[in-house]
Amino acid sequence: MGLTAASTRPRKGLSLRQREELDFYLFIGLWLVGFLLFTGGPILASLLFSFTNWTGLTTQEWVGLENFRKLLFDDPLFWIATRNTFFYSLGSVLLGTLGALAVALLLNQKLPGTTLMRVLYYIPSIASGVAVSILWIWMFNPQVGLVNYLLSLVGIPGPLWLGSQQWALPALILKSTWAIGANMIILLAGLQAVPTSLYEAAKIDGAHPWDEFFNVTIPMLSPVLFYVLVISTISSFQILTDVLVMTQGGPGTATLVFVYYIYQNAFQYLKMGYASALAWILFAIILALTLLQLWGSKKWVYYEDQAA
Amino acid sequence: MEANQLSRRRFLQLAGTGAASLALLAACQAPVAAPSGGEAPAAEGVTLTFGHHWEAAFRPHQEEFDQKYAEGHPDVQFEYTYNTWSEHNQIVPTWAAAGTLPDIIYVHGRYAFPWNHEGIVVSTQDFIDNDPDFDVDGIWEEARRLYRYNGQQHGIPYDHGPMLLGYNKDLFDAAGLAYPAEDWSWDDFLEAAKALTQENQWGYGGYYNNIVELGNELGISLVGPWGGEVIDATETKILLDSDAARTALQWWADLIHVHKVAPLPAQAQAVPAGPWVAGMTGMFALASWGTPTLIESASFAWDVAPWPKGPAGQICGSFGSGFGITRDSKHADAAWSYMHEYLSKEGMEFMWGASGRGSPARQAAYDSWLNSAGAPAHAKYYMDALTNYAVTGRPYESLAGGEILDVFTRNTQLVQSGDMTVDQAIENILAEGTPVLEAAAKRLQGS
Repeated sequence: MGLTAASTRPRKGLSLRQREELDFYLFIGLWLVGFLLFTGGPILASLLFSFTNWTGLTTQEWVGLENFRKLLFDDPLFWIATRNTFFYSLGSVLLGTLGALAVALLLNQKLPGTTLMRVLYYIPSIASGVAVSILWIWMFNPQVGLVNYLLSLVGIPGPLWLGSQQWALPALILKSTWAIGANMIILLAGLQAVPTSLYEAAKIDGAHPWDEFFNVTIPMLSPVLFYVLVISTISSFQILTDVLVMTQGGPGTATLVFVYYIYQNAFQYLKMGYASALAWILFAIILALTLLQLWGSKKWVYYEDQAA
Repeated sequence: MEANQLSRRRFLQLAGTGAASLALLAACQAPVAAPSGGEAPAAEGVTLTFGHHWEAAFRPHQEEFDQKYAEGHPDVQFEYTYNTWSEHNQIVPTWAAAGTLPDIIYVHGRYAFPWNHEGIVVSTQDFIDNDPDFDVDGIWEEARRLYRYNGQQHGIPYDHGPMLLGYNKDLFDAAGLAYPAEDWSWDDFLEAAKALTQENQWGYGGYYNNIVELGNELGISLVGPWGGEVIDATETKILLDSDAARTALQWWADLIHVHKVAPLPAQAQAVPAGPWVAGMTGMFALASWGTPTLIESASFAWDVAPWPKGPAGQICGSFGSGFGITRDSKHADAAWSYMHEYLSKEGMEFMWGASGRGSPARQAAYDSWLNSAGAPAHAKYYMDALTNYAVTGRPYESLAGGEILDVFTRNTQLVQSGDMTVDQAIENILAEGTPVLEAAAKRLQGS
């Protein structure tokens, strides 16, 4: 009670709006200071590096737009990495979001054991990335792996997965579903925020469960779905650990993705300037996609508090 | 709703924009690491700092050497940073960028040239010239050349090993085959590989290693016996389009796809330790630094034989590792004094000979390894190869060493899996690799 009383006590001379603004800056302040001190500098520095031929060690020469020209017009690996990254992103975001939604819908049922199941589904999301990647190398083992074993039970001879030029990238997409627990929790929270009165009204109107899903659940969940899609797309473009541990970009260039190519240039080839240019291109791609999603959201995302 | 209240829509927009910014941060930020030591002089002396790559089991041996060294040099103290091998090669440049390099660092042969060029490792030529007690000529020339830059010795090698033919004696015995002999040709090898191969068993075969792999010591081992080369001596031209190299690579690819005496990469991947260590293959390209793993893990009897002779004679690749004094060292004299003993005959005998770790870079220290419990029965063949027919595998004098090896691997992986022909791989390697080597040579000339 005391805490509630203290937190609701009006601060002298401040309007509600001013108090909320103050709270906002207090909450965001620590992050903002950390961002400006430790991240803003490297961001600006990398922009400068992208116009140089810096190796990361010696003095650098200004090369203007040469890095950008080379990677856009003279570097086939850049385009391979871009194509692979888009393919991975499309597959992992679709599969991950639909999978998370399906699991969230199942775990939103009032059935015994759902709390335990929610915990179990979330646990993989907090497991160490490298350890999980190694685990999946075993899962995809063509001879003794669990994936091909399960396929064999239904009479399907499994592919070579990580050893196959055709199947390595799909294997990484499949592996990405391991961490749907985080999105599942967000979507579950969104589902539980949908007022039951809407479902009751739909039932009175004779709605089929599918109608309830498409006309009540999806519209009410759309802001959360939108958030999940934006965040998942961004993180999918940053895939590195799985590639580093499981395939190193191979076989051939089958799993060469954008951030791995940045990593190779920066730390294996000592082309820090070129890697910085790549990083800024990646930033531009992610920004453009995010803006596209924001623009597209006007067509399908329903905000209850802004409804007419 | 108040006009300035943060709506869910606005929150999601801000969150999306913020997350997009974070994408940039993740893409641009470089991990920074520093040695655990740094400049912390002892009260009456110096503290030498080290960037090692030893695994946990070997660290006590390192520290035992240092304790012995300290008995004769009580003014010196030691501080270590132990990296894993792969991380070390990326951590060192970040140390260099931050100006926090330890006094002495481990330098793999592949990184020696670019690190010398970038000034991470400094020249030790003056120390060598003014220290007649340090017998630099007692170190194999093939080992020293990896650490030379602009005619000056920079790092000093401690280990240098050639590729030999390792074989599983148990499998040879079971097949009723005679062990590989000194005069073996690659035809003999192929006949034995066929006899050793068990059909329709994943991962089993007569031979296993990264077949059609062109990295340093393995590349020249594969094409050299047929008279081929991987890269020319100026390291500006790829020579894989010669008839000899083409024939050789096709011969090796045929081991997988025609004779089926070697596993596909995916078949090999089915065995986490690798088919050789798991005792599933009869023969293996075995460098001297691979022997400790076998001593620790192999449950079968094994030995080594000379690398077989090809149509153009007997030749195999070799490679190695060393140590260097860094540009950030404030105690270069003390560091050299340490290196002098560490990489002397006695130092190598203690560290890499008698310990069984293998292949010290000094011929005079080799007996200590040959007589150690860790050496295979015919370990002397390693010394014979170094003395008679091993050559250091290029590239090791290019600023694009890592990049060119990636070009090789991208294409040879597909030859191994059967997704690309040898001719196509050679064509791709030349098309992709030549501009990389030329650009690196240009950078070198411009510096």
